[in-house]
Amino acid sequence: MTHAVMSCLHANLAALEAVLADIDQLGITTITCLGDLVGYGPQPNEVVELVRERAIPSCQGCWDEDIIEGLNSCECSYPSQLAERRGHLAHQWTADQLSEANKVFLASLPMTLRRDRLLFVHGSPNSQHEYLLPDMDAFAALERVETAGADTLFCGHTHRPYVRDLRDGSIRVRIQSSTDHTSPAERQMPLPVRRIINAGSVGEPRHGNTNATYVIHDEETGSVEIREVPYDLERTCQAIVEAGLPPVFAWRLSQGFEYAERADDASHVCER
Amino acid sequence: MARWALVSGLQGELEVYEAIQRDLRQVGRVDTLFVLGNLIGPDRDANALLDRLQSPRRGELQPQCIYGWWEDQLLAERAFRGDRRADALRLSQGEAAVDALLQAVDPGHLQWLAALQFGFIELDCALLHGSSADVGDSLNTGSSPLLLLDRLTRMDVNRLFTARSGEQFSVDLTGGGIDSHVRDLEGERQLQQVVPQRKVIGIGSGLHYTLYDPGSDRIEFRTLDQQPGSRGRGFA
Repeated sequence: MTHAVMSCLHANLAALEAVLADIDQLGITTITCLGDLVGYGPQPNEVVELVRERAIPSCQGCWDEDIIEGLNSCECSYPSQLAERRGHLAHQWTADQLSEANKVFLASLPMTLRRDRLLFVHGSPNSQHEYLLPDMDAFAALERVETAGADTLFCGHTHRPYVRDLRDGSIRVRIQSSTDHTSPAERQMPLPVRRIINAGSVGEPRHGNTNATYVIHDEETGSVEIREVPYDLERTCQAIVEAGLPPVFAWRLSQGFEYAERADDASHVCER
Repeated sequence: MARWALVSGLQGELEVYEAIQRDLRQVGRVDTLFVLGNLIGPDRDANALLDRLQSPRRGELQPQCIYGWWEDQLLAERAFRGDRRADALRLSQGEAAVDALLQAVDPGHLQWLAALQFGFIELDCALLHGSSADVGDSLNTGSSPLLLLDRLTRMDVNRLFTARSGEQFSVDLTGGGIDSHVRDLEGERQLQQVVPQRKVIGIGSGLHYTLYDPGSDRIEFRTLDQQPGSRGRGFA
């Protein structure tokens, strides 16, 4: 079965409509969303309502959680103080705009979705706030997939799409126990082959290009296509400015990368 | 270089702590005493031990303490952990155990317990009760090497000392590697990574404790007899 996975919609209605049109035009009917329906963008209610109307299974992203739970994330959500200040502004605006029904919907979203050996999360199986960057420590990346009991992990949160295959791994250990006074035991553990697929971002692309991104995965062949979809960027940027959100949100959408911000500690886990 | 003594699981037993202090005087060349949590437990009044840890006697090593699973449960139940309560304890051992734990510690000790840290980083070593993932994370010789490596990587240390399992052990990561292939919108690349030479050490519990020489990386597991004044046995 071929299915589409998208993430990080960030209240960008024009981008979401363009991505859904692309998926529809390909004849794909199974869609999964990895969260962050709101935040930064100017149409939180419209985006949530479109996801609800299309009955797209979604997990809860860090923005969805924080809008419901209040601003209580640790600094791993915001890689810089500048980002944090802007994030707080967007948080307050979004919380004020969202209808109660849409807040209830966001609160109802699960942390993870699972289909057989496919696992869908926002950040990582540990936390909506953890970044699984494409070049992070390979053993740590493998541990996230393996401990969650998945073969393929779909994630978002980084806003940069990628496919990472982890293979040909092993770890040798020497074990000494105080209850066993014989020579230390030597053991070699072959590591399983696992895959991480990051869906990028529909509403806040940061891969150096303004196009919305999502992925198409074929469960039978294992093939993955990273799709780039142009959308009416001007419409969203204008709505951001008219809504009174920080103009830098419009500026960075028009650049396709994050300004002065990048999570540089992928192994950091939110300690909340 | 002087050694560290690593102790855990006293669970209110002042006699055990005194036995360890006596043993430390006998073995010598120990300059730091770390107590890696579980100072308290539900089975006995812990107040005398807590008094002693905060006010050591002359000639005793000053203990450097962190909180463990039992302290975490107590602090949660006493509303020091936000909305969280001692649900893990309640689920595993029932309401009676929660009540017993509350009875074991005078409220006057709560502020001191609440000020204890999650762990210490000394040189290239993490000294924790459970692991870098959670205070309740129980690592032992049966733990997946991938999981052990992850717990080391999270804190970027070469040695992780853990107490939660109560076992004394050493697991050395001695070799191996992994390949990965990344494809993104910029292209494709191959990455190779080798297993770093790292180690996870279980320090034991109660009368079973551990000596560590950070200069030579030598570990000695000590086991004391129950009788006061008796000598300990150790092997490295």
